[in-house]
Amino acid sequence: MKEELVFILFLIALTSICDTINQLFLKSAINSLASPRGNVKAVFKFIMQLILVPRVWVSFLFSIISLCIWLFVLSQVDLSFAFSADSMHYIFIAIVSRFILKERVCFKRWLGIILIVVGIMLVSLS
Amino acid sequence: MFKKKLTLKLLFFLILTDFIETFTHLCFKKSALIENEVIITRFSELLVFLQNVFSSPFLWLGILSVLCTFILWSSLLSKVDLSVAVPVCSFSYILVPLASIIFLHEKVSLFRWSGVLFILLGVVFVSLSASGKERALE
Repeated sequence: MKEELVFILFLIALTSICDTINQLFLKSAINSLASPRGNVKAVFKFIMQLILVPRVWVSFLFSIISLCIWLFVLSQVDLSFAFSADSMHYIFIAIVSRFILKERVCFKRWLGIILIVVGIMLVSLS
Repeated sequence: MFKKKLTLKLLFFLILTDFIETFTHLCFKKSALIENEVIITRFSELLVFLQNVFSSPFLWLGILSVLCTFILWSSLLSKVDLSVAVPVCSFSYILVPLASIIFLHEKVSLFRWSGVLFILLGVVFVSLSASGKERALE
């Protein structure tokens, strides 16, 4: 039972990492375009332009991998547990931001991350 | 970056995103439930599992709603600050366990709810400091 839980948590971490990579690529692709102004039509035009950026496809690839792992996780454990544990992507994004993008992560954010870790531990123990 | 105001209409769309996201996860869970006992030891068995799941209509319904969320979310983010949008959308951390109880008959203990509460607080704290990160990425 204990080993199983560790394995599932590992898989959830893996989907979270894939999600993080996905978000990074998406963000950098979006940054390379001018942001849309105003109406729905402009937003659709923006999305059409976005699809042509290769980085978006890398992002899609990672979201498909993430989806496959996620489906397997869901077949093994409760949704309420899996969804809560999936919040660990906030932790990975903070770490990536700090060490890869060299962003400054302030105290309030570290506090938030500690709260998320405590929450995930509580959810996993139940 | 200029401040973007949160109007009632935008709040409605943010909460709608929450509900669609909850729906997405319910669909995914439903599609993964086809096979009750999945024990996978080899890679080929994983492929069979995925083949089964991908032939379920619930999965495609889920993917469709992911696309809806994606379009809604990205158009909302051009109107609302991320540090406002994320706390409102973390409402789904409560909605998903609620939906699991109602539709999937899962049992959520008080212990687990307390964990959810901690995660929720954490997400709010992380996003309150999001403006700094936004600037760095731009």
